[in-house]
Amino acid sequence: MSDPNDPDGWQKLDKKMLLIGPLQVLRAFAVPAVVAILGLGSTGIFSLMFLPLFIVVPVLLGALPWLTTRFRITETKFELHKGLVSKKQLTAPLERIRSVDLESSLLHRVLGLAKVEIGTGVDDTRITLDSLSQSQAAALRGVLLRRRAASAEPVDETGAPMEVPGTSPLSDGIDAPAPNDPAWLPAPPEQVLARIDWSWVRFAPFSLTKLALVAGAVGVFSQFIDDFGIFDQNTVRNGWARVSDVALPWIVVVLLIAGLVAWLFISTAGYAVQWWNLLLVREAGNLRLTAGLFTTRSTTLEEARVRGVALTEPWLLRRVGGAELATLATGVGSGGVTSILPPCPVAVATSVGQSVLKSDPPLLVPLLAHGQAARRRCHLRMQRMALVAIAAAIGSTIGFNWSPWLPVVVAAVLIGFAVLSAEAQYANLGHALTQSHLVAGSGVWQRCRTALECDGVIGWVVHQNFFQRRVGLATLIATTAAGAEKLEVRDLPLTQAVALADAATPGMLTEFASSSAP
Amino acid sequence: MTSARNDTEATESALREPAHQVSPRAIAYWQVGALVGLVVLVIAALVCWFLFPHPWWAFAIAAVLFGWVLVDLLIVPKLRYRIHRWEVTPTAVFTRSGWLMREQRIAPLNRVQTVDSHQGPLMRLFNLSSITVTTASAAGPITIDCLDHELAQRLVAELTERTAAVEGDAT
Repeated sequence: MSDPNDPDGWQKLDKKMLLIGPLQVLRAFAVPAVVAILGLGSTGIFSLMFLPLFIVVPVLLGALPWLTTRFRITETKFELHKGLVSKKQLTAPLERIRSVDLESSLLHRVLGLAKVEIGTGVDDTRITLDSLSQSQAAALRGVLLRRRAASAEPVDETGAPMEVPGTSPLSDGIDAPAPNDPAWLPAPPEQVLARIDWSWVRFAPFSLTKLALVAGAVGVFSQFIDDFGIFDQNTVRNGWARVSDVALPWIVVVLLIAGLVAWLFISTAGYAVQWWNLLLVREAGNLRLTAGLFTTRSTTLEEARVRGVALTEPWLLRRVGGAELATLATGVGSGGVTSILPPCPVAVATSVGQSVLKSDPPLLVPLLAHGQAARRRCHLRMQRMALVAIAAAIGSTIGFNWSPWLPVVVAAVLIGFAVLSAEAQYANLGHALTQSHLVAGSGVWQRCRTALECDGVIGWVVHQNFFQRRVGLATLIATTAAGAEKLEVRDLPLTQAVALADAATPGMLTEFASSSAP
Repeated sequence: MTSARNDTEATESALREPAHQVSPRAIAYWQVGALVGLVVLVIAALVCWFLFPHPWWAFAIAAVLFGWVLVDLLIVPKLRYRIHRWEVTPTAVFTRSGWLMREQRIAPLNRVQTVDSHQGPLMRLFNLSSITVTTASAAGPITIDCLDHELAQRLVAELTERTAAVEGDAT
């Protein structure tokens, strides 16, 4: 895989990139090229003279990455050189490498290739190697992560690696084989945490997160239809008049059924494509998630970076006993929230969440309720929202001379809905503190339980708005570098909030708590 | 939980006050800021008076705006000065801020990543500076508004020195 003639251990991308690269460039160039050829077509044979240009240029451009990219692993760092005109040299210290992800599109998989993305540090920049052979990519991944594990020792109390002055990072027990040695370290044992169970597919239609995508696609499609001009206003109006005379209710029913069937099909297919062969394993201090039917992804999270999990039960999914699970980690991609399970039975999500956290059972402990004052706050907040809408209804009734029944109906519906929402919100509200995790329950129509490692808390905010202050409540916010960067415990009696913060991070605010001073 | 209401008296003492107040010149600074707002409002009102007809609700809006600016000018600065407090201990930064809402923020020094100071043109006039202490969390920055400039400089130097000594990446 590496050039045996290169004494410095520099390696290149896979040779098959000479095939894929031009194809990818061609794909990007196809539309402008066709337009250009058609545009020049009026000048006859002249355009054919440009045809070679449209083939040669993409081939050269596509071959460039292979020609100019090389990388190597030294004792302490990963180096990547690339670029022809503007040369780029990327260096990542091995102990800073947080994640190594593999991704193969369908084309990549046919040719046995995988794209490698290396995540470093707390920022979002990732080093991309597009692409290596699958075996080479897997081996590179193994070596990088194991080297990182070796060089990251010892770990300080925050779980962050510390520099060890004067010692080689590889000196503690792990031999450093030549980087071009194909017989890299033997793979350590893996522990399987979760595997796809196709009976879970029954939850797919109840998860509406994809519905927005479908709606967007339908919107784009309808724009297209406009362009065809078949559906000009008159045909639509005439057709509609004719049909609605006959059977309006039937049309509605048929459309609803068609929509439902389409949704069943789309959601199930989407679920299968995304989570095909899902496998979640723990190996050598990492969590690795692989899934995907056409494009296979392999995401690796360093366990020390995983600061907690979030268990989400959207309303519809909860009705059928389903839940979703995500990890909250620091320094990982977008938002630090990584979905690690598809919609699946809540018991599965809970137990996988437990085994990811390894320690005490923060997903199982009962949450402490926040009391009647918090409940009243839920109701007041919801009714305030309803009030705005009701005021708008009254205003427009007066303005447009609508039926006076309108605001009455709107008010009845909204107030009823607000009461239900408030009760739902209060039922989901709660907190708990386990041995090592702070747990918060939240959400109105989507129940969410978030568990954050107390060690991951890097500060506290006690927030009180005007109304909260009057009834002695506070919103306690634990700031963290993981996930959404904060964990909110809403409407907690102030003294309890401070006590909770103090108990979660002993010592952090002891000196500021007045009651502790004699 | 009927005790929630009874706790109200005890709430203010759940966390004690941070030790220090901000610079007394902050009151004047906030007042000048509000005054600028007032001047802008008066000019805007005059322009509207000459350019547009004035129905009754325009007066109502103007009255509310003027009332707000006057509160901002006469009451808020002193209130804010009473509430804004800060403290830096050997281990943590602790602040209290806000006047309608109230916020107490604590960040342990071993998790602090950057210490910045900021001085706007108007602040320079009053020789004031603000300090912002950030941690690895986007939700965690702590700002101490309107400190005496020299004090702020000293504090930044001291905090930078203390946080630089911490190992690891503070997450």
